Amino acid sequence: MQKIGVLLPRSTYYETISFDIFEGLKLGLEATGEKDIKIVTENIGFGADKQQCYRSAEKLLLEENVSLVLAFIGHRTAELLRPLFLAANKILIVLDAGANLPNEWPTCPNIFYHSLHNCLGAWLTAQKASNDGYKKGAMVTGYYDGGYLHTYSISKSFEDAGGTIFFNHATGYKENDFTMEPLQNYINENSDSAFLSLFSGDFVQWYFKELKNRFSNQNLSIYLTPFGFEETMLENAVFPSNLVSGIVSWSKKIENKENKLFIETIESSSRKPNLFSLISWEAASIIVKVLELLIEQKNNIPKIASELQKFEFNGPRGKIYFDAKTNTTISDLYEARLIENNGVSEIELGKKVNNIKEEFDKLCMLSSDNVTSAWYNSYTCI
Amino acid sequence: MENKKKIVLLCGGKFAFKALQLLAYEKFLFGVAIGKGTEIITDALERECEENKIAFKSFPNKNSISEMKTWINNVQPDYIFSISFPFLIPEEVLLFGKDKFINFHPGPLPKYRGVMPIFEVLKNQESETAICVHFMNANFDEGNIIFNDPVLIEKGDTYGKLTIKLSNRMAQVALNMANMLQFASKIPNFPQDENEAYYYEKPQFSDTYINWKRMDSEEILSLINACNPWNNGADTTFMGEQAKIISAKHFNKPHNNSYPGTIIEITEENTITVACSDNKQIAIEILSTDEGIMTAKQFSSKINIIGSTFN
Repeated sequence: MQKIGVLLPRSTYYETISFDIFEGLKLGLEATGEKDIKIVTENIGFGADKQQCYRSAEKLLLEENVSLVLAFIGHRTAELLRPLFLAANKILIVLDAGANLPNEWPTCPNIFYHSLHNCLGAWLTAQKASNDGYKKGAMVTGYYDGGYLHTYSISKSFEDAGGTIFFNHATGYKENDFTMEPLQNYINENSDSAFLSLFSGDFVQWYFKELKNRFSNQNLSIYLTPFGFEETMLENAVFPSNLVSGIVSWSKKIENKENKLFIETIESSSRKPNLFSLISWEAASIIVKVLELLIEQKNNIPKIASELQKFEFNGPRGKIYFDAKTNTTISDLYEARLIENNGVSEIELGKKVNNIKEEFDKLCMLSSDNVTSAWYNSYTCI
Repeated sequence: MENKKKIVLLCGGKFAFKALQLLAYEKFLFGVAIGKGTEIITDALERECEENKIAFKSFPNKNSISEMKTWINNVQPDYIFSISFPFLIPEEVLLFGKDKFINFHPGPLPKYRGVMPIFEVLKNQESETAICVHFMNANFDEGNIIFNDPVLIEKGDTYGKLTIKLSNRMAQVALNMANMLQFASKIPNFPQDENEAYYYEKPQFSDTYINWKRMDSEEILSLINACNPWNNGADTTFMGEQAKIISAKHFNKPHNNSYPGTIIEITEENTITVACSDNKQIAIEILSTDEGIMTAKQFSSKINIIGSTFN
């Protein structure tokens, strides 16, 4: 029996994150017909403790002797683990929220990234705002979400499209400190401005509540990124405005047979499908391929990497393939807007975004000089 | 606050500076030693170390290495990193501790042992090189390998460009290794496969000389890039005088079997095209003669060079 390792995070506002990732993976493997794989898990907390992350990975590799490791971490933690995986000649599959941009996009044959592409979503969301005619923007985020480089992605994209960020607002991360008050004066004088918004988890709900309370009659144009559209959070988020739109990386409303199977399978295990069960469900296909290649290529990692770069499959988000330059999966992204459903928010899915790969290439070309993020933890894991 | 491992870095100059900065920023750097450093670099490094309360030592020549044992015993680091340190560490110094000395070799091991792997990988037209992190023993580049961290070589990379790329990447690799030492309960490592091993001596004139008769266009361009800038270009001879080709590129036109080395034409872009042994041409952009460094246009303006040969 093959053995694979998983580094599972925890999150205060996505309390079930580790269960979601585990179930998504387990059921995803079963869906591919692979039932003979043992999953060994290690907890990495919020992903911010380097020692815990390293020791957990080390344990999986050196004590459990797993064939590969799957981990919900960001680029910085992956970089920390890189020498371990190089030294142990093993493959690490990073489940990446895609909220940060790395200082460099290293191609290491031992590390592959399967991404939810929040930065790319932010990049496209800003373009959408510009295409919708907005020249003025306010970047609205919080102390936590604002620490990731999707802030750079959204603002740079808006500026590149000819827009100007006139106001930056980063609110506090405790509910009592969370306020949109500073935006009131700004919007009074700049009613033709779009709110380029970066929030996740509970913060989405708090943000919508604040928007509803403070700006309910103003019909503000709000632009969201994929994590702002996370559907389990939207279920309990008040409907803030008729003009909320942006980019999603996945929705229950995507119509294809893979998404149907994913949703039905997860729901039949009494769980709600979400971005976390999605990413590990999809990763199951990558894992099965890597396990095949490990045998075929006799553990020769450069050869496995070269074959994996050519691998593509259909998942709930559509076709998924690797960008060989960054070892990162590329998948479809969709336009979306919010609609009201009994006072709470729901996604209305729009069209697929064109030229995803070209836009991803542009994002990778962004200069990272003087741009840095201090957050080490996996995105959404606080 | 975790107790950081105390690391001494032995270096040979500028190439290691990014790594020095990052290790210092992450509070791993405890001491710095420079071998054969120029006066300006040594002074600047000493000043920086003094300001940041980091131990410093200069080893200007081979004889001064005899002072290393005492210095390391005084500093008492947990680990000693070496990045392009020009001298072999004597066995009596290595006795400070087993698996305490770690070298960062700017080329993949065991395939590219030697002092200038950056030159060799470019000359050999590799598409990828590596920074090899290995434990040190009493021979150059021979200790057990911890890992080879791959670095892509892009088309057109020169020795200078690749050196900068490796120096930048070296910083992260050194930090990764420091983190590994900090957090690992065991450092995986394996002996070098001697069947795969090759030691490249320091390049001689014969290694940097273009053999127009035998080398194809790709080999010549790779050699030119591998020699830029450290050798001021790849060596050749023109009308009995030594010359160096500093920069050249592909010229997509056959030459119908002219003698290799023959100058075929001066292009609209003012490059000089030269016939190669594979019926392809290269276009020279910049070269150097006894008169100095000049563009192909300046070179061609003196005499009628069409039909003349490099050899």
